[in-house]
Amino acid sequence: MDLIVQSLAGESVREHVIALLRSTAPFAALSDKLLGRIAVIATLERVPRGEVIYQVGDPAKDLYVVASGQVRHALGPGAQATVLVKVVGRGDVIGWAALLKDRSRRLAKTTALEESELLKIRGDQLMEVLGDDPVAAQEVLERCAKMIIEDFTVPAWLAQVQVLPTGKAAAGTRAGGASNIRGLALFMHRISKWLQGPTPYLMVVGFALFFGAWYLLSEVFHLWRFASIPGPHQVLIEWLNPNPVYGLSVYSSEYYIHIWSSIRRILIGFTIATAVGVPVGLFLGWSRTFREYVFPVFETLRPIPVLAWVPLAIVMFKSGAETPVIFLATLASFYATALNTMLGVESIDEAYPRAAACLGASKWQIFRHVVIPGALPYIFTGLQISVGVAWFSLVAAEMVSGEYGLGYVINTSYVNVRYPTIVIGMITLGIVGYVTSALVRMAGDYMMQWRVRELALGGRE
Amino acid sequence: MLANGKGAIRIEHVDKVYDAAGAPVQAISDCSLDIRAGEICMIVGPSGCGKTTLLNAVAGFHDITGGSIWLDDEMLCGPGKPQAQPGPDRVVVFQNGALFPWKTNLENVAFGPVVQGRMSKAAAREKARELMAMAGLSGTENSYPGEISSGVRRRVEIVRALMNDPKVLLLDEPFRALDSLTKSVMHEALLEIYYKNKVTIFFITHDLEEAIFLGQRVAIMTTRPCKPKKVLDVDIPHPRDYSVLTSRRFRELMEETVHAVHEEAVKAFEAGEKEM
Repeated sequence: MDLIVQSLAGESVREHVIALLRSTAPFAALSDKLLGRIAVIATLERVPRGEVIYQVGDPAKDLYVVASGQVRHALGPGAQATVLVKVVGRGDVIGWAALLKDRSRRLAKTTALEESELLKIRGDQLMEVLGDDPVAAQEVLERCAKMIIEDFTVPAWLAQVQVLPTGKAAAGTRAGGASNIRGLALFMHRISKWLQGPTPYLMVVGFALFFGAWYLLSEVFHLWRFASIPGPHQVLIEWLNPNPVYGLSVYSSEYYIHIWSSIRRILIGFTIATAVGVPVGLFLGWSRTFREYVFPVFETLRPIPVLAWVPLAIVMFKSGAETPVIFLATLASFYATALNTMLGVESIDEAYPRAAACLGASKWQIFRHVVIPGALPYIFTGLQISVGVAWFSLVAAEMVSGEYGLGYVINTSYVNVRYPTIVIGMITLGIVGYVTSALVRMAGDYMMQWRVRELALGGRE
Repeated sequence: MLANGKGAIRIEHVDKVYDAAGAPVQAISDCSLDIRAGEICMIVGPSGCGKTTLLNAVAGFHDITGGSIWLDDEMLCGPGKPQAQPGPDRVVVFQNGALFPWKTNLENVAFGPVVQGRMSKAAAREKARELMAMAGLSGTENSYPGEISSGVRRRVEIVRALMNDPKVLLLDEPFRALDSLTKSVMHEALLEIYYKNKVTIFFITHDLEEAIFLGQRVAIMTTRPCKPKKVLDVDIPHPRDYSVLTSRRFRELMEETVHAVHEEAVKAFEAGEKEM
């Protein structure tokens, strides 16, 4: 490669370089001043026909802007892309890997198809210059990201998922920008990140240790207290048995009736508790008068364990076994939701309602635009806890009164000495409980995009 | 340059006594200060001297216990009306920033006119987009405040205030949390906005250099109870830029006032020690 000119050499070269940068997508919107500074760190090079500019796997130090000629850009093996080979010309940017901190190797091989001129910019120096003007930097990086997303490393179907208009949220966003990855694409991205870290493997080890210990204690050594506890092997056999010895396995329709009755009770209880608990919590936090009336009563009733309500619940709702059980789940869940919502309102920085008042918002508008969204993070923490305590009190209630449900299964299996079925009931509870709580978390993430994006930037997820 | 400014604030013999824990604390005592329409008036005082209390009284976040505060010919608060009504004629930019994190930057900027019912949502967003472009904030419209740097956030917040065409901007140490480089950029950005809008600026700070660089007048406050100790006319012509900082006149003004400020800082420190 010939070095044509060091760009500092002459004003006319500088002008030429600025004009060239302006013709490229990523740099088009920058001010002359900033382009001038980039021109200083850029060098113009001539590449003869057939010369390889960089190879797959080379360290990626520089970014190139094609000034003239044609360059063939071929992605290396393993890159998932819509188009693997393309030809770029004047105004195109290649070698963007130089801008990424953790991607310091070339993903493609580039060859000059004819004698070409390339503007070469050191990636780290460019980032330094851009660092002085965050707004401009964001613009450049977003445009680069758009280019990257359009071109490669994202399978076509995934790229399409990203630009699907998802109602109001997508209407205002620029298509393809780096910060707009959401929905399924975000989910897939998280999964792939997760698989790259040590977490999944440690998790497998953890489970293996747990089941291994359980197996050894109960089935191999028959140790002391564990002698009459069913082991994991025994439970698994029973669970997957088409003809279960004790009458309950994944093949028996009764199993699903029990699961469904419990889920139905949780759904009803949790919905009522949320519908009542969130507004009550919001008003507890917002209105001092309301709080003075309600909170003392609330705090007196709250410490009463839900189990203590069982007799009264049965007396109150004589009709059938269903209502008392739902009542108890609702009650437990209501306390958690209302209390956390109230804390959520209290956690809101005083400056937000003040700022809203300054901007002319009425009391009701402040409630709607500041208090509710400001309390949402706590509300969802509350809902997570509340779905947990709903299961807790549901099972307790089902063990006392009930004809179906997982708590009922556990209790009757104990009475009838069907020990493996107890464990099947317990594990099923664990799985179903986990799923409901994950659903609540996902709903929260969906409603608080701002928080998801903030946390993602902070690297805490 | 500074033709017909927007709102004059007259603070007359204002008292403010806090009586929170049964022990009355005199935060402001007999404080009088005239802020002329369209000027940048800097309020300098040590931390905890009561200057934020004064700003909060003007904004209408709490009451005063004596005296009166006027905006042009309208009494904001005074005898018979202890607390001013907060409103879009006096918008506050807060110390730690108060952009709503759950709204995008564009929604934040468009918030004022929409809740006031002055503009439709679409019209407000259109205007917000324009103002943001003028302030060099294009490209950040659809980000959330948590996704942009603190300096950019502060600019968005100032634009949000200007959307309401306020008579007075009340700035409560808005650049305190910024690093010194970002701060100097923000100073120039603020002056640029000021030259375009001629809005009256009531700016609280504890940084004397910032005060003299930005202000036409600098009021140095005594430590609690808060009242003006010395009001300095900064006779450096506007428009200003950063070369002012190295000018002789700037140094002279610094020397003239640094002693007064230091004296109050020492008093505030000693008072703080006693309270410990």
